Amino acid sequence: MKYLTIDTTTKVTAVALGEDRRLVGEGFLNTTKTHSERIIPMLDQLLTAADWTLQELDMIGVVRGPGSFTGIRIGIATAQGLAQVLKLPLIAVVSLDALAWAGKGRVEDIVPILDARKNEWYTARYNWTRGAEKADCLTPPQAMPIGKWLEYLKGLDRSICFVGDAVEKAKGRIEEVLGERAVILPEYISLPRGAYAVSAVWQRWQETGEGEQVEPYYIRFSEAEVNWAKKEEARRSEGHE
Amino acid sequence: MMESQKSNVVILGIETSCDETSAAVLLNGRDLRSHVISSQITTHQKYGGVVPEIASREHSLHFQPVVQQALNEAKLTFRDLSAIAVTYGPGLVGSLLVGVSGAKAMAYAAGVPLIGINHLEAHIYANFLEHQDLKFPLLALLVSGGHTHLILFEAHGQYTVLGHTRDDAAGEALDKVARTLGLGYPGGPQIQRIAQEGDAQAFNFPRAMLEPGSLDFSFSGMKSAVLNTLNSARMRGETLSVPDIAASFQQAVVDVLVRKALLAIKETRVKTLLLAGGVAANRLLRETLDHKLAEKGVCLVYPSPIFCTDNGAMIATAGYYHYLKGDFAPWTLNAVPGLGLV
Ligand SMILES: Nc1ncnc2c1ncn2[C@@H]1O[C@H](COP(=O)(O)OP(=O)(O)OP(=O)(O)O)[C@@H](O)[C@H]1O
Ligand SMILES: [Mg+2]
Repeated sequence: MKYLTIDTTTKVTAVALGEDRRLVGEGFLNTTKTHSERIIPMLDQLLTAADWTLQELDMIGVVRGPGSFTGIRIGIATAQGLAQVLKLPLIAVVSLDALAWAGKGRVEDIVPILDARKNEWYTARYNWTRGAEKADCLTPPQAMPIGKWLEYLKGLDRSICFVGDAVEKAKGRIEEVLGERAVILPEYISLPRGAYAVSAVWQRWQETGEGEQVEPYYIRFSEAEVNWAKKEEARRSEGHE
Repeated sequence: MMESQKSNVVILGIETSCDETSAAVLLNGRDLRSHVISSQITTHQKYGGVVPEIASREHSLHFQPVVQQALNEAKLTFRDLSAIAVTYGPGLVGSLLVGVSGAKAMAYAAGVPLIGINHLEAHIYANFLEHQDLKFPLLALLVSGGHTHLILFEAHGQYTVLGHTRDDAAGEALDKVARTLGLGYPGGPQIQRIAQEGDAQAFNFPRAMLEPGSLDFSFSGMKSAVLNTLNSARMRGETLSVPDIAASFQQAVVDVLVRKALLAIKETRVKTLLLAGGVAANRLLRETLDHKLAEKGVCLVYPSPIFCTDNGAMIATAGYYHYLKGDFAPWTLNAVPGLGLV
């Protein structure tokens, strides 16, 4: 079964070709250009180089967040557009689940951290049992204040391997809090890669066996919604007094 | 069914620049086979205006179903298309990117050309959908939520901006005043509705004409005058008639637009004026211009109201003329939120 995957949930544009559980080809760009400018040319070059055509594909995979709101939507719109025209099933995975594959085979807990601005990370916690088909999710995806999350992880008293686009900037702070128990991988392993999306998409396909209706996974509400809810809340509590 | 009609040009037009997700299928530039508009107005209403992040989220949810519905209603598939045309600016960047990304993927997968459309140009081209015989040179008055432009339009794709607003756009001023009057969003249609019950002579709001001969516009002074009138009445404990205010304000906006349009006609001696953009749906504006231009032997053309506000049909129409010129976009096409007409 041949498929392509798209991950534009961070600044990295990551596209890949997969055949069953095998990674066939991969494109990775971490430059200043936008996803919008890069994505179709990358896909086209990758297909050409691999000597694949769109018509040979059996499935489209996409990473649906959390991450950059705009990036999530670009990835999904692109994947949906391809799937709609080619009449292919669409499979969506969570960015943090995909990043757990960066730590496949490791004994530490795997903690992907993605820049969520406002001093927060999109994060979760996983662990790979030896021989397992996929990582166990120990703490589900959420948007967490950085300090609070690091304190929580410190309290666990376990070794933790950090991956994700927030690692580079937070290295010092992580090591300060967790000391020896923090494992930091090189950036080329730690950033979102097509290879991880291929693994996560294939894994999900094994579970579902069919395409799905894909919606963005933002975790956060928009600011306007949050503010409006706050105002409503204030209005309601005033009414009760 | 299209096999036997290979010479036909079938354009799928896609619009996601602001708060409407829309798609249309257009045959040979005239024959609208389908037109789907999914409006977010009710979603944004409680915020008093369009919230960019929410608009983008809505586009993301509705984009694919809207395009599919347009194809289904036209009884066509992607393989029948000659090209896919999409708005790439101006507008809200997050909203534009949904349409641009989706349209690119569709065009790439379908093996058809992609056409990048300037939203302002498309507003003007809405006129070509219903009027087959427009002859250049043309003059266009583009009055929308974000723009107020007088444009000399001498050939397909050839524009000269003769004048534009120096502050608020006409639609923006209508929306702001409507909000202050508690009429809700979007304000233009609300003002038009309530103005019917009011006296347009009740208040005399200033009509800024700027320097003699200028074809530029200014609506902020007029808008402030309305707000000041309301404020000082409130200080005095008086309540003013909302219909009177709405009618007088609408009259002032229309007066300025009409006078500037007449001035542009006099200077350019162009014989046809096109109205374009959301405010072109305004009845008073249409009727006043109809009347004034008939006296001068100038022809007035405007789109049906549904093609005045944002819609996919106007994108497909503009796309058709780009298609004829072979004017296609590269796969690197990006959203340009601040795109100008020229
Ligand atoms: N009947 C009407 N009378 C007056 N104004 C109207 C009417 N209908 C719509 N409008 C106004 O038209 C504007 C919307 O037009 P349109 O959709 O063309 O603008 P936009 O797409 O938001 O901005 P732009 O096209 O400049 O980027 C709003 O300001 C609205 O109040
Ligand atoms: Mg518009």
